[in-house]
Amino acid sequence: MEHNEKVIKYKDALLTSMDDALTRFPGTIIMGQGVDDHKGTFGSTTDLAKKHGAHRVFDIPLSEEGNTGIGIGAALNGVYPIQTHIRNDFSLLAMSQIVNTAAKYKYMYGGHFNVPMLIRMIIGRSWGQGAQHSQSLQSLFAHIPGLVVLMPSSADAVLESYNHAVEHYKGPVISIEHRLLYDYSFKSTYGEKDAAKHDPFSSRLVRKGDDVTIVATSIMVIEAQRVADYLAKELDIHCEIIDLHSISHFNKEMIVESVKKTGNLIIADTSWQAYGVCAEISRIICEHDPRMLKGPVVTLGMQPSPCPTTKKLEDLFYPDDYTFTMKIVEMVKGRGHGLSVAKTSLNETYKSFKGPF
Amino acid sequence: MDALYEKLFYQSLRIRLVEEKIAEIYPSDKIQSPVHLSIGQEALAAGICNNLLVTDMVYTSYRCHAYYLAKGGDLNEMFAELYGKVTGCGKGKAGSMHLASKKVNFMGSSAVVASTISNAVGSALASKILNKNQVSVAVFGDGASEEGSYHESLNFAAAFKLPVIFVCENNGLAIHSKLEQRHAFVVHEHAKGYGVKSVYIEEGYDFAKINQVMEGIVKEVREQSIPYVVEIKTYRYKEHVGIGDDHNVPYRSKDEFEQWKQKDPLIQDAALVAKFTDEINKEIEAAVKFAEESPVPADEELLADIY
Repeated sequence: MEHNEKVIKYKDALLTSMDDALTRFPGTIIMGQGVDDHKGTFGSTTDLAKKHGAHRVFDIPLSEEGNTGIGIGAALNGVYPIQTHIRNDFSLLAMSQIVNTAAKYKYMYGGHFNVPMLIRMIIGRSWGQGAQHSQSLQSLFAHIPGLVVLMPSSADAVLESYNHAVEHYKGPVISIEHRLLYDYSFKSTYGEKDAAKHDPFSSRLVRKGDDVTIVATSIMVIEAQRVADYLAKELDIHCEIIDLHSISHFNKEMIVESVKKTGNLIIADTSWQAYGVCAEISRIICEHDPRMLKGPVVTLGMQPSPCPTTKKLEDLFYPDDYTFTMKIVEMVKGRGHGLSVAKTSLNETYKSFKGPF
Repeated sequence: MDALYEKLFYQSLRIRLVEEKIAEIYPSDKIQSPVHLSIGQEALAAGICNNLLVTDMVYTSYRCHAYYLAKGGDLNEMFAELYGKVTGCGKGKAGSMHLASKKVNFMGSSAVVASTISNAVGSALASKILNKNQVSVAVFGDGASEEGSYHESLNFAAAFKLPVIFVCENNGLAIHSKLEQRHAFVVHEHAKGYGVKSVYIEEGYDFAKINQVMEGIVKEVREQSIPYVVEIKTYRYKEHVGIGDDHNVPYRSKDEFEQWKQKDPLIQDAALVAKFTDEINKEIEAAVKFAEESPVPADEELLADIY
């Protein structure tokens, strides 16, 4: 018998996870710019200050480095801080505390101290976000030993990994959320008896297929699913999709096993290819056994420029569904395959996002 | 001579003799870690920490030996740490610049200038939220007061009324750069702009005076949950890092060193020095022996305690 399918928006999953953390653990606080205002961090902290008290959910001065250091000190003294950066770009101001302090506290002092905290950062895209509101900086953080770096791509990924972070993990977690996921609705089985079991800080196999392995991050997982649907239906090409989810601790075996099966690998990341997720996953395959591959690895990411504001250039800056689809068709059928693929512009979601923020 | 004075003298002298021992051992390369000695500045650690409870939290810069000891950190574990031994307070992974001891809430010392100031403010935030009745202390040099995060921390502590004491050890030097070249403000005056109370102590050699001033401040900070800035003039006898003297180079004068030594009780009060030296040296020798005889970390330690 089919049970009723539960559908939940990404931002509501965020709100639920924040609310749960405050409800279940009295030492939890949320400190971030505008977390207690009427917009509630794009709906992810709305009314939590009213419900849990202004001493636990509060606005902060605009001092990213200081605030992060304060979060670390609070964590060292028994509080679980959840911090927010309404754009990933602003976290660069906090880099010293994240990299020099949070990531090293446990190791540098011989394992005697823990810094349990969650730092949420939001990537912007479209409606003219421009060069300083659009960056995806996951590789900068994942480069550093000591940090768990996540990019939850669905409502359940948020619920599983945030609840795990707050309840069980004793170190700093960086989670990079995508602004355009916030209004997406997802099927949810979180908390149900027959819910799929994932390691909350590892990768997820979200679709099975024999022809191509797609390793994707964040919103590129959604794009990969659309592309895979199209390819299966129109061209009988079957993609296997791995949602990397954890940038720092992804499941290498899962990727290797999949590539062993398909022989084709395309990596779709939200950031630049150089020195990032695309480069790292390629390294893993090269170091394991590149003979698994039938042809070259293909990567999909942003163009190697700052993000332009004007829509005309922004459309060129991000890869579109058509490019994504064509690259896979070429990989499987070879160049000069002669197959036609429907040409769509950027997908409807991006078009439907209306600013300003 | 009252007991309190002797206690503070003993604390200060102990720190000095420990660091002189480090300087003695250093040429042997048994200590392979950059050491930033507090010789000349011991009275601050002694006078401040004498007023703190074990539950109070202290964060410092890399010039941390004095506060580690004054807060009650274990001497054996300190020497073992300097020797890179697994019995060290940081299992040999910390070295001189990152001493910490959770047992006595000496919470950490960082090589990145000013970076622990905000951590101390965070500890104070937690103690306020969790009603812990603790005082947190951030210790930093005058150079650190130029960093943005010092100002961010001061503003936050004032806005949120947090029980934290900012201690500026003003030795007038950032490595070799003089304060006059770097500061457009006076630390204790500037704090008032944030509505933070402050005090200036000129006699940084006088542990009894520092102790007396701090007694009132710690009480006020604890009872009223407010931040406080304490600027203390002091003098660094040694070079910025290492064990050498550097009064032969022209960035500072030998005269001011001589003047400071004239006021230094650890030099002037020969009788008390004589009274305590043997006892302290016995303790130090035992700690050095402990370090010498301790094992180095096992290979597995390289990848332990990262996550």
